[in-house]
Amino acid sequence: MPRELMQSSPAQGRFSLDPRSKLLLLLTGSTILIAGSPQGIMTYIRPVFVLLPLALLFLSGRSRVAGRFALIYLAALLAEQVLLPLVSGLGGFLLVAVLGILTRFIPSLALGYYMVSTTTVSEFIAAMERMRIPRQVVIPFAVMFRFFPTVLEESRAIGDAMRMRGIGGIRLLKNPLTMLEYRLVPMMMTTVKIGEELSASALTRGLGNPVARTNICRLRFGVVDALLSAMAVAAFACFLTTV
Amino acid sequence: MNRKLEVKDLITIGVYTAIYFVVFFMCGMLGYIPVFMLLIPFICPFVAGIPFMLYLTKVDRFGMVTITGLICGIMMFLTGMSWPPIFTGIGFGLLADFILKSGRYQSAGKTVLAYTVFSIWLMGAMLPLYFMRDSYFAAMIPTYGQEYVDILMAYTPAWSFYALTVTAALGGLFGALLGKSVLKKHFIRAGLV
Repeated sequence: MPRELMQSSPAQGRFSLDPRSKLLLLLTGSTILIAGSPQGIMTYIRPVFVLLPLALLFLSGRSRVAGRFALIYLAALLAEQVLLPLVSGLGGFLLVAVLGILTRFIPSLALGYYMVSTTTVSEFIAAMERMRIPRQVVIPFAVMFRFFPTVLEESRAIGDAMRMRGIGGIRLLKNPLTMLEYRLVPMMMTTVKIGEELSASALTRGLGNPVARTNICRLRFGVVDALLSAMAVAAFACFLTTV
Repeated sequence: MNRKLEVKDLITIGVYTAIYFVVFFMCGMLGYIPVFMLLIPFICPFVAGIPFMLYLTKVDRFGMVTITGLICGIMMFLTGMSWPPIFTGIGFGLLADFILKSGRYQSAGKTVLAYTVFSIWLMGAMLPLYFMRDSYFAAMIPTYGQEYVDILMAYTPAWSFYALTVTAALGGLFGALLGKSVLKKHFIRAGLV
């Protein structure tokens, strides 16, 4: 899982897709992988969508993450083949639940990881505006992305402060409710304060203006986008025939 | 009371949704430890109740919780959990909004109820697993045989979905009560609410 949901600076590397085609791939991929049946024509389409996120991650220079996802997936597949017939009872129940979830969700999570780790916040906002999503959704989204790093930063600072005063470690683990209170309450207080300031500053800069906003991000829907999107649409059509 | 959402409200939604989602997501990470996986529907709404109850003290327009639900659903979609959470987010967010409205955004009991109902949105992430359960098991028959698959199916009965839903609602209820007591202890005294 990414440390920072969506980056604020563009990723290095030449290979990049339009956020809109990423969204389409994610929609098709997660549907087919999580809910699709592994029979019929899907026998051939599923593996494509298992490999696709790995290939995309690899092409965008994240081969280590791709390797890790591949390893977990292979381990889960192997366990399903080898371990499942051996266990029964409560262990069997847990195993079925865990392995079933892993084999279905891991490729989809990899695709999601690709989506959030290779799209910048402004690209995503630009794509949403292009898709004519109303600003009642776009503005909270933009604010939220602006806030993710703040929340994490404040939370880390509070962790440091607590450690300095000797609060933390094993003693708190014994009492999770106290730990929650000690960590969440100060984090919420600072974040809410920052939020109020941000709100005032954004309004002063004219976020409340009822005019169309401009965005410096240039979105290009290239050949690769067209190809992958066509593939996604075709796969989705196949999926619909099997339902 | 029935004014439209202004930009200031939209920013409020963004700020509180960020806090709520980070807390929610962090708790969701516990699910990577297999034993905790089945407790997720309880733990997430329980812990996230603290920031959400603070959020509800700021909600005074219709639609704010719906947008929060929608955004959380889209975030689940973006991080690879499929799209049903988008719709459950909108649906249960709307229900929560109606509940809050019926209490004129003042009633303490209604906020607890609203968060309890809203918490059920996370079941959207589990929906595809149950809908496609038959096909998943059907594909296993050739390898493992009918008998074995029958046993497996008995382990994951369809009613466990309802059990998990109730668990999520309970997590919401206790989370709301926890959130209320934390608010009383810290935020009201500090004059932040």
